[in-house]
Formats: sequence, structure tokens, C-alpha cells
Amino acid sequence: MEVTMALFITKRLLMALATVLVVAVLAFLLVHAMPGSPGAVSLGAGASQEAIDEVNRRLGWSDPLLAQFFTWLGAAVQGDLGISLIDGRSVSADLASRLPVTASLAAGATLLSGILGIALGVTAAVRGGIVDRIIGGVAGMAVALPAFWIGIIFVYLLAVQSSVFPATGYVPFEVSPQDWALSLALPVITLAVGGGAFIARQTRASMLEALQQEHIRTLRATATPTWKILYVHALRYASLPIVAAIALQFIQLFGGSVIAEQLFAMPGLGQAVQNSVSTHDAPSVQGVVVIATVVVVAVNLVLELATKFLDPKLRAS
Amino acid sequence: MKLLNSTARASSAVLAGALLLGSLTACGGGSSQATAKADTSSLTLAIDSDSASFGFDPLRVSAAQRQFFEGLYESLMTLQPDGSAGPGLAKEFSYNADNTVLTLTLKEGVTFTDGSKLDAELVKANLDRRSDPALSAYSAVAKGGAQEITSVDVVSPTQVALTFAKPQPGFEKNLASTTGMIVGKNGVTDTASLGATPDGSGPYTLDPSTVKGNKYVLVKNGTSPEASKYAFNKVIFSVVLDPQARANAVVSGQADVAMLTSNTVDFAKSKGVGVSQIGGTVNTMISFDKIGKTAPAFAEEKVRQAIQYAINRQALVDALHKGDIPAWNALPKDSAGFSKDIETTFAYNPDKAKSLLAEAGYPNGFEFTIIAGAQTQTDLQAVQKDLAAVGITMNVKMAASTDEAFAAVATTPLGYAPLNWDNPVGVMYGAILNGFTNVQKATDEQLSAATGELAAAKDDAAIKAAATKLNTRLVESGWMIPLYEALTNQAYNTKKVAPVEFAGTNAYPLLSSYKPAS
Repeated sequence: MEVTMALFITKRLLMALATVLVVAVLAFLLVHAMPGSPGAVSLGAGASQEAIDEVNRRLGWSDPLLAQFFTWLGAAVQGDLGISLIDGRSVSADLASRLPVTASLAAGATLLSGILGIALGVTAAVRGGIVDRIIGGVAGMAVALPAFWIGIIFVYLLAVQSSVFPATGYVPFEVSPQDWALSLALPVITLAVGGGAFIARQTRASMLEALQQEHIRTLRATATPTWKILYVHALRYASLPIVAAIALQFIQLFGGSVIAEQLFAMPGLGQAVQNSVSTHDAPSVQGVVVIATVVVVAVNLVLELATKFLDPKLRAS
Repeated sequence: MKLLNSTARASSAVLAGALLLGSLTACGGGSSQATAKADTSSLTLAIDSDSASFGFDPLRVSAAQRQFFEGLYESLMTLQPDGSAGPGLAKEFSYNADNTVLTLTLKEGVTFTDGSKLDAELVKANLDRRSDPALSAYSAVAKGGAQEITSVDVVSPTQVALTFAKPQPGFEKNLASTTGMIVGKNGVTDTASLGATPDGSGPYTLDPSTVKGNKYVLVKNGTSPEASKYAFNKVIFSVVLDPQARANAVVSGQADVAMLTSNTVDFAKSKGVGVSQIGGTVNTMISFDKIGKTAPAFAEEKVRQAIQYAINRQALVDALHKGDIPAWNALPKDSAGFSKDIETTFAYNPDKAKSLLAEAGYPNGFEFTIIAGAQTQTDLQAVQKDLAAVGITMNVKMAASTDEAFAAVATTPLGYAPLNWDNPVGVMYGAILNGFTNVQKATDEQLSAATGELAAAKDDAAIKAAATKLNTRLVESGWMIPLYEALTNQAYNTKKVAPVEFAGTNAYPLLSSYKPAS
């Protein structure tokens, strides 16, 4: 059993590494396919060709493509993603300061959407009737509403009209945990609405199936407490697709945080992407793509392991 | 379908409610910052773009970033509250008889963050950077520029002389913005270091809590004697790109001052926020090609005039820029050269546009392409409809890259940009006559003469006469096809900040002008 599991993890780790490598190659090639060179970007529109060539030579842009890639990869493995063409700062350091913002947003929104989605999905499945229809209708609308619009409404109601939360800005946790939570509240709620609705629909469907299983009926016949039947036995049976939906939500929220970051002026990876693409800052673009890929691949890996753990049949295979 | 008994249903509903309530209350507990006691130790400005997207070299940015860089650097001259140029790092200045040499006498005892001191050698080293093509602030004073400085000479440790290619009376005003900002010795020697580290002698220094592209935190510079002129101990420039988010930030108290777009002004005012307004920036279409190289029709003045008549500016403003002012004048309303006559002469008249096109030899119109960006696309689509009504087909193409947007000056006949006319002579020489909007090297004697006249004008009457000539010719020639004058709106929290004041017609208030509410 342990050997099988170890083999499974090793295989998955190798596949994850291969995925990151492929994305890194693609990002590298796409950045090179962009019009303009680092010299032209860093020196501006009026620079002479000699000056541009000199900067390109200094940055290794004139080297063969393969040599450039391996130089970059060698440094990236050691945590060095190069320096920004625009301001000469370390890309790794910049992204390291931005990662907690986006991760907090995505994790917070995933947690909240998971809690709301499971609670509402279970309620809809258990109560049925009008409650089910109301939850289904609201969830349908919430899935369809754009996050940007939801954010504007929340800001108007909870920041502008009632000053419950700040309308913009981000406070790092180490500065003030309370202000950190407050600054995250509205963006997290904004992102969690659509995600929660999606998870609620998934939970409802899975729970309906679970509640019809033989062993649930047996448990009811043996007078097992209702909460235990619902939240231990039925939910565990229904958990595989729900866990998958939550993981997908995290991935989607991690990549889609740019909307919330713009609306709430938060210094996350989404804002970094926006800045670096608009300024043609190739090393920064490459860095963000690779970091985002590593996160997505890691979440997928955790999801697979969790699935294996949750499903006895898979665990035994 | 009922699957469980009523107790089970109730328990699931209670749990769902508790989770919902818990998740919300966990995030709660905020208090109204707008109603909190005024804090005069810091000032937060919500701005609409990243002031330091290219780092902290003041010479890589334009006058629009002057307010931010004013915190970190001092200029040779300073912008005064009335809009004139006053002493700065240069305490005195004088011209020679034919206005070809400007001699500056420098202040003493000025220290930069790297520990270096201000002297004539340092000023020369700064100004000698004008040969670097990457420095946009120096485009007009570099070799080949309309205000070309041919040499910078050290007269004494405290005196430096600037020699021009031709007479430049009034040049000192150029030194009151980013062009005149002086960088310390380390920064000049290793200019790449300015990407991440400023090296100035300004009233503030950059605090490590700065987050690039998001918020720039400036704290008082203990070694600067100028710092006492600035009221707030800490100034935070908070980058908030979304216009509604900026309005929300000042209304809810996250920002003390915010740059607003005109369509959010009413909302801000309705929430008790003060708003100071000033014009001065005309959003205008600019004829890049006046010789017909990219579109032959544009070589005809009558064609460019036809476009003036074809555009319904009032409809454009009503639909897309509520609160701004439709513009037929190239120069803004508060300018000395503003003329009511131009408004009537070039009033919306599609029939006249059609007849002008016919006279120019284009009775069936013609076709051309314009490059748009995210900010200009909707305006251009409105103009596109007006032009189509008189037979001109304007294809609006979104710029695929920054390079394509920059290249448009050479590849397309018409462009669209906001132009601030705080320094009309500088704009004419720096951007219109010889600058980036005229890569085809078109000439217009009347425009050149009017600009020269304005540069040499000594009194108000002469300035008005020359500026009116310039304005009239810019419109009549179709070099400028103005659309609307955008108001610059500074919203401020009345409980914390005194009403914001502008320096003359400059759209960006002096950083030193922000004061706490009394």
C-alpha cells in the first residue's frame, strides 16, 4: 500500500515538474515572439540602434535562444527570475511581495465560497421544495453576475454608504492582522459570490445522490443523529466532486484576481501582470507566468492526493 | 422530495445561517474613517496612474509626474502658486543681451540622499544627460530639439551657464518641472540605480513600505530645509486605476485627495466631498501627416477643415464626457488666446464639411485608419460616426502593442491625445512644430511665426495677441482638431484637507499646496 502510494506521488510530482517546464518554455518563447527587444523597452522610443544593441548584448538577448533559456532556467531554479527591464529590481523579490496578496485573496475567497457553497448546497438538497428552488435560483444568478459588478455593489453598500469596510487598499498581515482582514473582506466576498454559487450547485447534486444511498438509509434506521448522517456520512460520500469544485475555484480565483486587484487597488500578481505586459517587461511577464503555473500545478497535485485519500477505491488501487 | 425529517431540515438551515452570519461578522468591525478625527500627520493621494512605472529618474517622465517627483527632487526653478517660475535650486538667473545664454546662480548647502552636495559640476552632469534619447523630459532641449541647449558650462562652483542654439527668453519656466530636477552624484554616475532608488534633495524620501505600482510612501527628509514648507509628515501616493474606485476611496476615507474623472464629480459632491476643478487639458485629434504621406487627402487643408466641421462635439460630451466642456479652440478656456469666434466659425456643420471635401477633390470622401487605445476607443467610435455621415471612412484599429501606438505618428495621418497647454511655447516647440507629432516635417509659417511671437511676448497684451493668432491658426490649419476640454478634478476630504488650489493653470497642484483643514 505504502509503496503504491509512494509510486503514485513520485509519478505525479514528475508530471507536475514536466508541466511547469513546458509552460516555462512556452512563456520564454512567447516573450521572445513579442515585438521589440529588452534594449528597446528599457531605453525608450527614441533610442539609437547602437544603444539598443548594446543593452541587448549586455542582457544576453543576442545569444542563441537555447543558451538564453538554459541560463534563465538555471537561475530560476535557484530562485532568481532575473531583473525588471524597467526599474532594475529583482523580479523574484517583487513577486514574492505580491504573492501573499493574491494567495490571501484566492484562499480567502475559496474558503468563504466553500463554506457558503457547502452550507447552501446541503440545505437545498435536504430541504427541497421552495427552499431548494430559491437557493437554485439565487445560485444561478450569482454564477452569471460579473465579479466586477458585484464588487461595485458591495463597495457602494458596505464601504461608501455604511463605511463597514475600506473601499480600496491592502494592509499586510504583519502590519496589522485586523486591518489585513478588513482590507481583504470586500474583495474576498466579491470573488466568493460566484464561487460559492458554483460550489452550492455541485454540493446539492452530490448530496442528493448521497442521500439516496443504502448505507444512509441504514444509518437513519439505526437512529444515528441527523447531523452525523448529513455532515459526516453523506457529505463524505458526496465530497469528491465538491473537493474538485473547490480546487477549481481556487485555481480560477488565483488566475482571475486581476479584476478584484484593480477594483480594490491591491498590489497582487494580477496588478503585476498588468504592469509588466503594458511596459513590455519580459522578465516580469515570464516570472508571473511561471509562479502562477507552479501554484496551479501544486493545487492540482494536492487535489489528486486528496481525491485518493477520500475515495477508498482509489486508495486501494 | 423530502428526504429527512423536520429536525434535520431545521438543523441544516440553522447551520447554513450561522455559517453565513459568521463569515460576514468575522470580516466586520470596521469604523468610518471619513468621520474619524482628522489626522494631519499623513496625506493619502489617490492617483490615476503609476507615477514611477519607469523608476525614479525624473528625466524619464513628463511634466504630468511633476507632483510626485516634487516630493523627491528639487528643480532648478520652482513652480509658484500663481503658475510663474520662481527660485529653486537656482536662487537667481539672468540672460545675456540676446537671450542665448542663461546663467544660473545655485543655492549652497543642498545635500542629496547619497550625501553628495549641489554644485555647478553636478548641474552640468545632470544637464549633459540630455544626449540620452531615453530621457523624455529632455526631448526639447536635446540636440535637434526646438529649445536645444548647445552647451552647459561651469562658470564657478555656484554658477552654471546654459547656451542655446537660438534665443530662448523665458526658458527658465522649463526648469520648474521635471526637466529642471537635479539628481545627486551617485544617480548621475549610475543612472540605472535610479530605477529602484531615488537620489534627490527633495522634502521627502522614499519609505521602504512603498509597494511599486501600488503605493509610494514618502516621509519627511530631515536634512532638507525645504521640508518645512510641506504640511504633512508622510505623503502616500496610492495608485487606483479605476475612476469609480478613486471616487469611492475619497468618499469612504481611504484617500484624503483623489483625482476624479468628471463623471464621478457629482457622486463625490453628493457625499460631502469637496471638489476643486481646473481646465487646461484639451483632448484633441492631432494631424500627424500634413503632407499626405500616409493618406494623400490629409495634405489638403480643406480636408482637415472639413473634419473640424463634421464633428458634433456637444453630442460627444453629452454622451461620453458629462461634466467636461466641448472644445472648438485648440487652447483651453482659461488661456489668453482663447477665442469665442472660433466656436462659431467652426460650429458643427456637416453640409459645410461635405462642400469642403468636394472643393478639395474628395466629393465621395476617402478612407484612412486611426490607432486607438483602451482610453480613446469610445471617443473615436463617436467621431467615426460623424465622419461617416460626411463620407469619410475612419477605420478604428486597436493598438496591438505599445510599439504600434508609438509608431502611429509615422504610419497614420491622425492621432488623438490629451494636450496640456500650461506652457504653450513648450508644447509647440516640443511636440507640434518639431516634436514627435510632426515626424513628416511639415511646416506652417503662420504657426512658426505665432509661436515665436508668443515666446518673445513681454506683456499681457502681446501674449494675448500672439496666443490668439496661434490658437486660431492651429484650428484653421487643421493641425489640431480639438474635441473637448477635460476638467481636472481634485476631490478632497473637507474634514482633513483645505480646499485644493492649483498653481496658475497647471493641472497638477503643487505638493506643497496641500494643507490640513483649519
